Amino acid sequence: MSAIKEQQRPWRESRTKNITFIVTKDCQLACKYCYLVGKNESERMEWKIAKAAIDYILIHEDDFKDDSVVWDFIGGEPFLEIDLVDKICDYIKTEMFRLNHKWFNSYRFSFSTNGINYDSEKVQRYIEKNREHLSIGITIDGTKRKHDLNRIWKGSGPERGSYDDVVRNIPLWLSQFPDGATKVTISSADIPYIRESVLHLYSLGIKEVNINVVFENVWKEGDDKLFEKQLIELADEIINHGYYEDHACSFFSESIGKPLDSKVDNQNWCGAGRMLAVDAKGLFYPCTRFAAYSLREKKPIVIGNVVDGINNDLLRPFLSLDRLSQSPRECIECEVASGCAWCQGENYDSADTDTIYQRSVAICKMHKARVRANNYYWNKLFNKLESEEKLCSTSLTARDNNYKLC
Amino acid sequence: MLKYLIVPLGANAISFCHYPNQSIKDSFTDIDTLHEIVRFSMLENLYIQFVYPREELPVEINDVVESVDHIKIMPFDYPVKETLDKAQIIVFDSWTDLYDFRLKLDITCVIRTTFKDLLESGDIMRELLHRLSRLNVVITDIESVSESQVIAYKSFLDSLIPLLSELYSQGNAVQFNLITDRVILKDMNNCNAAVESITVSPDGLFYICPGFYSVGMENIGSLTDGIFIKNHYLFDINHAPICKICDAYQCKRCVWLNQRVTREVNTPGRIQCLLAHCERNASKNFLENLKSDRTPIVEGISIAEIDYLDPLDCIINQ
Repeated sequence: MSAIKEQQRPWRESRTKNITFIVTKDCQLACKYCYLVGKNESERMEWKIAKAAIDYILIHEDDFKDDSVVWDFIGGEPFLEIDLVDKICDYIKTEMFRLNHKWFNSYRFSFSTNGINYDSEKVQRYIEKNREHLSIGITIDGTKRKHDLNRIWKGSGPERGSYDDVVRNIPLWLSQFPDGATKVTISSADIPYIRESVLHLYSLGIKEVNINVVFENVWKEGDDKLFEKQLIELADEIINHGYYEDHACSFFSESIGKPLDSKVDNQNWCGAGRMLAVDAKGLFYPCTRFAAYSLREKKPIVIGNVVDGINNDLLRPFLSLDRLSQSPRECIECEVASGCAWCQGENYDSADTDTIYQRSVAICKMHKARVRANNYYWNKLFNKLESEEKLCSTSLTARDNNYKLC
Repeated sequence: MLKYLIVPLGANAISFCHYPNQSIKDSFTDIDTLHEIVRFSMLENLYIQFVYPREELPVEINDVVESVDHIKIMPFDYPVKETLDKAQIIVFDSWTDLYDFRLKLDITCVIRTTFKDLLESGDIMRELLHRLSRLNVVITDIESVSESQVIAYKSFLDSLIPLLSELYSQGNAVQFNLITDRVILKDMNNCNAAVESITVSPDGLFYICPGFYSVGMENIGSLTDGIFIKNHYLFDINHAPICKICDAYQCKRCVWLNQRVTREVNTPGRIQCLLAHCERNASKNFLENLKSDRTPIVEGISIAEIDYLDPLDCIINQ
């Protein structure tokens, strides 16, 4: 039995179509790092649009060859539209059954929520009804001061953080989803609070913290050093207190920080184009990040609509994207390339032309800082396990993948 | 490395490729700008390809044109016969005009045709293949071709193979871009706009190709400031995931068309790939005929049997 908790794999990874309904562009919060620059209260999906999207997708079963499906609901805040979401899910289930669709026995409904109205009667009734097919992640950024630094209520007047309104629902959420993971986003101002925030989330009972730095070019001189210091302090805490046995933090992964082979490791990082998103107007996007409300500088990339269907020619650049085609030489030759992520939408938004083939390198220094801290984490952890005689090998470094647990 | 400078001699210059003809008349390049263009070509060691309008060039423009070594790309109906006789490339927009034209053997004929007209051109085509030294077919409405029409295209190409084989066995090595080009190619031989050629507009601005100029896309520099191509690497085949695994080497790989159809200059639309692979497969059959007829061929050329018409399918199924 392993002494190190591994991160959960995504549900039926690689054989699953992810279909996202942007049910509303409204949210109770106005998080400072939110990439959704065009949130508003007016663009709410109507039932007839949702139904048309479902009909198009389910009728064209041959065009969606994946074995399974995740029906994803996003906003804004998706639970603001719980009545619509409930109706959509009921319709999906009955239609998949009626059509004898291959997805009927292999589907999930997925939500990323701010957690504010998680305990409402309607949301709870919905959860009860769909419990076996649900994945729900509540976003909580860590300690109150870290969370409230960015995740504030929208509106005028004095800034008001949302921590207290979210944390009260964590016990209920974990009672229903004991393996529930949270997603933490780090921007420049958040760096000093990383260590305390991850530990705080563990203390709330959340065993898996998926955390990433924002892809936008927000980083200041020295942020990488501060980031590395925070991660090393976090590594010390996780190892010294044995959290690694039953908790996970996505910052630390054995697979990151290695060179990538130009042939074997040439896959695109992101699933844009293999996913499908639909908005309130019934427009299809390769992912939500290409909808207008997600883009600062560029026009949206619409690949079709619920009436005319998908323009497959517009999908071709996404489906053929690979790492080498979009990466600058410094990334291709990078000695610590593995685990360095990118967001296709951010690449597009920050590109010099209207291309999706220009990789943003805004997180380069942050990734390298993460790699150094990650090396420290695994070397320290292996040394500890070795000294406790939980590892068989005697000469391990974080660059060796061939350790064996006794 | 840039080798060619394409110079439309006015906003009214003809199209010799996929992009549409403009309806502008009498809009010639300013004489001072033309002098600057010629000077630029000499400084940068670029070989000029002048693209003519249908109207006769003013004398002063013509004098500048004739003062520099160049290739002439001209409409078949250019009004000055003496000038037309010096053209290396003559462009037609109808099969009838091409058929009726008094052809010289040492020129390249470009026929811009709709897909439908091409498929109906069989009889004229057979006649022309006897008479021409090189025929380039440019399909002007690829965007409207449907997948169901691809089979007809395959049949059309296949129907020409026996004649081409016979001509070659008789020593008439007519060049027909859709079938014969591939049998002499060992790697990609495409349009290569922005890599080997660049276009300068009548107002002294640079464009990727005349197509980008004709539809008013962003320029990539000027005679005064020089050429600056953002994301230049996207024109390199190594940054074109579909094309770099493809062996339909004769494909035009038109970056203007790519951008129109898929939004990306490095990504061809599906129909482009399907048609190019029909051509490639026809070339394969043609090459086998040449080999069985013991007709001399370029050494080291072979075209493999494949089970796809769109390389994207290979990427997706990996």
